[in-house]
Amino acid sequence: MINIYIILTTSTNLLVGMTNLLSLGQAALYGIGAYLAVLAMMVLNLSFIPTLIFVIIGTSLLSLLIAYPSLRLRGDYFVLATLGFQLIVFTILYNWVDVTRGPYGIPGIPSPILFGDIVITGIIPYLILSSILAVGVVSLFFKLIYSPFGRALKAVRDDELSAEAIGRNVTALKIWAFVVSSGFIGISGLLYASYVSYIDPTSFNLDEAIFILSAVIIGGTGNIKGPIIGAVFVVILPELLRFVGLPDSVAANLRQIIYGLMIIILMRLRPQGLAGEYALR
Amino acid sequence: MNSDTILIIDSIRKSFVRNIVNIRGKDEDEKFYVLEDIDLILPAGKITALIGGNGTGKTTLFNIISGFFKADEGKIEFKPNGSLIELTNLSAYKRAQLGIGRMFQDNHIFQNMTVLENMLVADENFFGERPFQSIIYYRKNNNVEKERIEKAEKIFIDLFGEDNPFLNMKNEKAKNLSYGQQRLLGLARLLMGNYKLLLLDEPTSGVNPVIIEKIKAIINYFVENKNMTVFLIEHNMKFVLDVADFCHFMSKGIIAVSGTPEDIIGNPDVRKTYLGI
Repeated sequence: MINIYIILTTSTNLLVGMTNLLSLGQAALYGIGAYLAVLAMMVLNLSFIPTLIFVIIGTSLLSLLIAYPSLRLRGDYFVLATLGFQLIVFTILYNWVDVTRGPYGIPGIPSPILFGDIVITGIIPYLILSSILAVGVVSLFFKLIYSPFGRALKAVRDDELSAEAIGRNVTALKIWAFVVSSGFIGISGLLYASYVSYIDPTSFNLDEAIFILSAVIIGGTGNIKGPIIGAVFVVILPELLRFVGLPDSVAANLRQIIYGLMIIILMRLRPQGLAGEYALR
Repeated sequence: MNSDTILIIDSIRKSFVRNIVNIRGKDEDEKFYVLEDIDLILPAGKITALIGGNGTGKTTLFNIISGFFKADEGKIEFKPNGSLIELTNLSAYKRAQLGIGRMFQDNHIFQNMTVLENMLVADENFFGERPFQSIIYYRKNNNVEKERIEKAEKIFIDLFGEDNPFLNMKNEKAKNLSYGQQRLLGLARLLMGNYKLLLLDEPTSGVNPVIIEKIKAIINYFVENKNMTVFLIEHNMKFVLDVADFCHFMSKGIIAVSGTPEDIIGNPDVRKTYLGI
């Protein structure tokens, strides 16, 4: 799960930390990735690599549905538009029972099959596969963030007006950021679906969207290490609480309280997060 | 049109809507014109100043020229390289790409980016600013990047000499620069683009006399060494007298008086309504 969340937070960082786009629609894209993966593996019978490509392209294209109309909005209006997108996608996944099986979910999702006959089953092989993908995604984002593309995004983040005044097409840059980020979020969906072997819409609801955003804000934005630290923190904390010996019902609530407190304290004392570079506005 | 003209502003009108409380105590919207009817021709390769009281529409006119506001009526034509281009329906970033540079009244530099990044991001060469270009064409990207860095460093040296704070602080965040230095960085950044016309909104506001002298030298450098045309809004009349070739006085949404800076300062109406002498 750490690797899945590293991909989720790193991708979200491209929007939040690099472009100053606070999106509440990340769980919807995560869900779209997962359901597209199911479509590719169980209906189209594709093996892992073609499924991966299908999911990346599919999630990117579907993200345009929200990117194009909402990226002309600014600030709070953009946040509300992505919230609307999140709610619509969740409602569709929940109610389009003929296709998604709605609340019953989709069981029996097969394990990834690589190169025709290598079936990835068990914790260790899956850990290796997800680590390879997470390292790949982080490396790509490292390259993107420190490239002229990343620099142009930072200009948009710091001052849209100035970015436009120096000839940069701000809307196009935001759309690129959204599409690239969404493509990689799709990979998390694929990994999740094949890891858990069962998906239902409640894994991709608004709580999850806020959880992803919390991980990014706690870890920090604007660089590579912040989102990774955020992902590790939010995944490891429940395990630590379990290790302390608290009952599950208490630990779950305590976890939420700790996340909430962390965000409040960080916003007050360290708005750039635990290891981030950019303080959210 | 004169061959030495770079910009023609033809019958521009611009209104805004303000909310007022009427005599019955009810809210209502009222349309009012900030720019009544602006006709202006900017000569190429010269420095033209625009002066006038607060709220007379100077910055609104700049926003219309650079594409941040849309005029209600009228048209603007730009002649960067001999042929005339109608700007009216072009967005702000396209106008910048055509050669209209803008410096805002507040510094508007990229505060969380380094001094060097502020320069590189403004380069006229956009290569690498698409994700696939950044990832796939790595080697070419690197060469373009090297050229960008050399260009930025040369600009710093040309404008501020071999030992200057911008080169020394090039890897520090721009927000660490003083206000005056940020203003100078904003001017230096304009040399990264391929601009023919620069719109400078109050370049000397809030900076000390030493920086004002530097700004003066940089503006003259733009015109004399880079063949740029400068159109600036300014309240510092000494500065206008020192740098401007022509001057326009705006009042009540129109260009009320035009001439040389000396003519304008000598005009009784300008003296009374704007200078207060």
